Amino acid sequence: MASKASAVATGSMDLILKLLRQLSWRELIHHPWRNLAAVVAVMLGVALAFSVHLINASALSEFSQAVRSVNGQPDLELRAAQGTFDEAVFERVANHPQVAVASPVLELASYAVTEAGKRTALRILGVDALVVARVAPALMPVPDRPPNDGATGGADSANRFAIFTPGFVFLNATARQNIEGMASFKLQSGLQLLGVKVAGSVNTGGAALAVMDIAAAQELFDKRGQLSRIDVRLSPGADRAAFVQSLQLPPGITATEPGDDAQRVSNLSRAYRVNLTVLALVALFTGAFLVFSVLSLSVAKRAQQFALLGVLGLTGRERLALVMAESALLGLVGSATGIALGTALAALALRLLGGDLGGGYFAGIAPSLQFDAGAALVYGALGVAASLVGGWWPARAAQKLPPAQTLKGLGAAPAQDGAHWFSVALIAAGALLALSPPVFGIPLAAYVSVALLLVGGITALPWLIALLYDQVGKAPTLATACAALPPEGAELARGGPSLRSWVAKHLLVMLAVERARRVRESAAVAVSGVVASLSLAVALTVMVASFRDSVTQWLNVVLPADLYMRTAAPSGAGGSGDTVYFTPEFVQAMRQVRGVARVSTLRTTTLLLSASQPAVALIARDLTDPAAALPLVGAALPTPPGHVAIYVSEAMVDLYGARPGTVFKPLGTVFSQSFNPPGQQIRGAVAIDSIAPFYVAGVWRDYARQFGAITIGQQDFERLTGDQRVNDLGLWLAPGAVSSEVEQAVRGQAERLAGAGALIEFASTSQIRAISLKIFDRSFAVTYWLQGVAIAIGLFGVAASFSAQVLSRRKEFGLLAHLGLTRRQILTVVAGEGAAWTLIGSIAGLGLGLAVAVVLVHVVNPQSFHWTMDLVLPWLRLLGLCAAVVAAGTATAWLAGRAAAGKDAVLAVKEDW
Amino acid sequence: MTLQLKNLAKRYGDSVVFSNVSLDVAPGEFVAIVGESGVGKSTLLNCMAGLDSWDQGSVTLMGQELGSLPDDQRALLRRQHVGFVFQAFHVLPHLDVAQNIALPLLLLNKPDDARVQALLDAVGLQGLGARLPQQLSGGQLQRVAIARALVHRPGLLLADEPTGNLDPTTAAKVMDALIAQTREHGASLVLVTHSEAAAARADRVLHLSFDGIKG
Repeated sequence: MASKASAVATGSMDLILKLLRQLSWRELIHHPWRNLAAVVAVMLGVALAFSVHLINASALSEFSQAVRSVNGQPDLELRAAQGTFDEAVFERVANHPQVAVASPVLELASYAVTEAGKRTALRILGVDALVVARVAPALMPVPDRPPNDGATGGADSANRFAIFTPGFVFLNATARQNIEGMASFKLQSGLQLLGVKVAGSVNTGGAALAVMDIAAAQELFDKRGQLSRIDVRLSPGADRAAFVQSLQLPPGITATEPGDDAQRVSNLSRAYRVNLTVLALVALFTGAFLVFSVLSLSVAKRAQQFALLGVLGLTGRERLALVMAESALLGLVGSATGIALGTALAALALRLLGGDLGGGYFAGIAPSLQFDAGAALVYGALGVAASLVGGWWPARAAQKLPPAQTLKGLGAAPAQDGAHWFSVALIAAGALLALSPPVFGIPLAAYVSVALLLVGGITALPWLIALLYDQVGKAPTLATACAALPPEGAELARGGPSLRSWVAKHLLVMLAVERARRVRESAAVAVSGVVASLSLAVALTVMVASFRDSVTQWLNVVLPADLYMRTAAPSGAGGSGDTVYFTPEFVQAMRQVRGVARVSTLRTTTLLLSASQPAVALIARDLTDPAAALPLVGAALPTPPGHVAIYVSEAMVDLYGARPGTVFKPLGTVFSQSFNPPGQQIRGAVAIDSIAPFYVAGVWRDYARQFGAITIGQQDFERLTGDQRVNDLGLWLAPGAVSSEVEQAVRGQAERLAGAGALIEFASTSQIRAISLKIFDRSFAVTYWLQGVAIAIGLFGVAASFSAQVLSRRKEFGLLAHLGLTRRQILTVVAGEGAAWTLIGSIAGLGLGLAVAVVLVHVVNPQSFHWTMDLVLPWLRLLGLCAAVVAAGTATAWLAGRAAAGKDAVLAVKEDW
Repeated sequence: MTLQLKNLAKRYGDSVVFSNVSLDVAPGEFVAIVGESGVGKSTLLNCMAGLDSWDQGSVTLMGQELGSLPDDQRALLRRQHVGFVFQAFHVLPHLDVAQNIALPLLLLNKPDDARVQALLDAVGLQGLGARLPQQLSGGQLQRVAIARALVHRPGLLLADEPTGNLDPTTAAKVMDALIAQTREHGASLVLVTHSEAAAARADRVLHLSFDGIKG
């Protein structure tokens, strides 16, 4: 029995392949451009998604490899939650009986300044050359061979001893490139420049890195007795957990597993990578829609051929299989070319942009392409699946067509009612899923919700159209409606025309209305293109407008001063805020500069609150009026006596549960141990009890730091840490002061104080705002491109659908021509239907797009990036978009009608097909 | 029996198309069905092939009761045992003449070029197998349709006004070819026609009206 069924299936497959070769192939090559458009759409979708995947995977792999080469292969890393910790811990660790090797590391971020004044970021690692090779071989300094190698053994050994000599550094390839191969350069510490010589190299990849002796680094950067981390290799058989417990580490030190760094980078960029991939998959969705349009047109054109095959004995299931095979063929070709194009795009992007697609997570690395056959198969399969989804409805149409009726040109039977419940269920499920929490930090449920809303909305169209046109068809006469009115109203209405009778008396309108009522599926096919494309365009427009508006408002609050100055890029992952800073004396001097009315300060440092999360920013600033200083979400809460007020970004609430009105304990733990101002001996551990509890007095929006920021009053920070360094200054200009003159005066003052005039960077509020919005617009440029593609595909769908319908109505037009209608009148019917349908499509697309926008703004964004925004509806732009689509749809319908309602349409009444 | 109809009735809403239609068609028999326009001759033909539904009665084709079969089973039965000739020729425009004739063999997964060639010869289309339908006349196209209807040796040929689009001379030649080929293949032929000349060549002529079918 099973073998019989298998034989039947094999025979059926054989038949489909033969029909594909004999019938479908001819159809495909008969309309090469139309089918090529579908293939290209699938190809672009697959190529975009696959290239984004390859770029991100290559960058992540390169980054992880760089992290591994710098961190080595320890069993454990003991790391400071903030800044550095007392090196006394090292002795305890190194002498522990279960430790085989302990390698101390001082890690700093600073700048390299060349003789010519070129300033580039540089990571500096102070290591113990005697042990580092056993844990991180790539960090072992390799002395350069002197030019007269062999002739003077003294020079050679001097170079070897440079490993332990203060003022000598060993650079990786990127750092060597940045200093343009010079033999010496300067390192920035505060506003001072410290000269160093290049003694050799280290074999690590990734961003610019310098290795030097740990004692020399401590001395050079005023970090005596301080370490950033200890890399530990345990003796064979040692129990990791028991070892960590036995160390009794102070609260400010965490023990992390190797790979946590790479994992943190992966976590940091995950939401961004997923969002990019989903955006790329939108292109694939439009590709699926194009396959749908092309095959709908193709099936409509071949309806009588399918009917004949049905009469000759081809079953409905086999007709369905044949059309699905056609869509699979389109998908296969599109996917295969898409994978090839995606690989080429990724290689090109990696060459031109490095591994960074705009998120800034992988800046500074130059990854090589890592082709992933498994991923290629997955994305290829996605392309074929999208094509099959697009082909499903036309295939069902081919399956269900009644052969005898279709052969007579009578078309399909009226659609069955009841399918709209399926659409309603999809929309309801979409709405429910939008309320679900993220999965592994990714808004998966929200993405599915968007998909369900789109599919539910589009599949509900036939029902909505029928509902609308049935109302027109069944509209009560005006006289009937007015019968219930007072006598004068009824009198007024008596004899007036009803909508229904008006429609019935106007042939062109009646033809359009009746066709839309009775052939609602074909109307829905035409309209669905508009709905799909417009809803995506509307959703993206609203999301981008909302985000841009919120960012603009945010900039207004966070940039109150006239001029901003700093001497290093904002700290964060780079962590240069503790190495490159302004001293209190310098700040005081700035207050005296002519033309400066007021100076505000900002101290930024980083805290590692969780081993699995990226570091958060701790910002100390003047918070006399928090509501004015911060873009608060809600009102600031009064701080209870005996507490220290902190204001957290929205990410802190999501990731660390720092809810307003509660005490945030993790910060107290870090403060008790970690803060050590430069030039001072390491403070002993401060009892947690002696630090006032940190009270979350408010939540603020932060569009700059996705993984959390805590703001604390400058005075509280200095009181608790003794740290008076600052990283950024805001200058309020005195009335009449000229910005450029103040800049010059400040630079002159800096030069006099520390010889650091060239190290100061200035930016006016308007410059920062303009640059920020320019970066924003550049980041979202891809969405405008996607909108354009979506609209173009939607219009192509309209053109394909109208062409199909007009072709199938050639006999109708021929008959109308025989009855005396002019060609112009026939075109008016077609264009009128086009206008009416695209208008309905636009209204539905606008509504659906707004629903999707709400999910994107209020669910996807907060769940992905942990920041909220206000929903802004740019009505003028949205209505313009709708009007443009209606105009383009009408013109497309008219053009499609022109082609089919030519003079030869008169002959169509006689044609076979 | 090749085909057996018992008390067949068909309605559209309240309107009766035909009723009480009973008919036996023996193997090799040629039956012509005539009647006024609108009495449901084409609909009856569609019911015989399982392409249309009926409200009462039964249709048995090659021993199988069609009413009990799902659509796909009816299609498979049609594929094997029924040939169709229409008033309009319904020839696929992208296939050449030989490929059009070979369609039923393709569906049955039994390609047979010699058989196609033999039918081309039999219907007088020698040497035209490679031509496209656009290059043929109406009479030639209908011969293609006849060849296509017989190529897979069906037991029953259903012809719906096969000469309706042709001039009398061509119509006579097409009927000659149709009848000769049907007889040669031993198939039964049910012909729906308005043409008295065509009907006169049948073994039996039946008149279809709203209340039944009479010999």
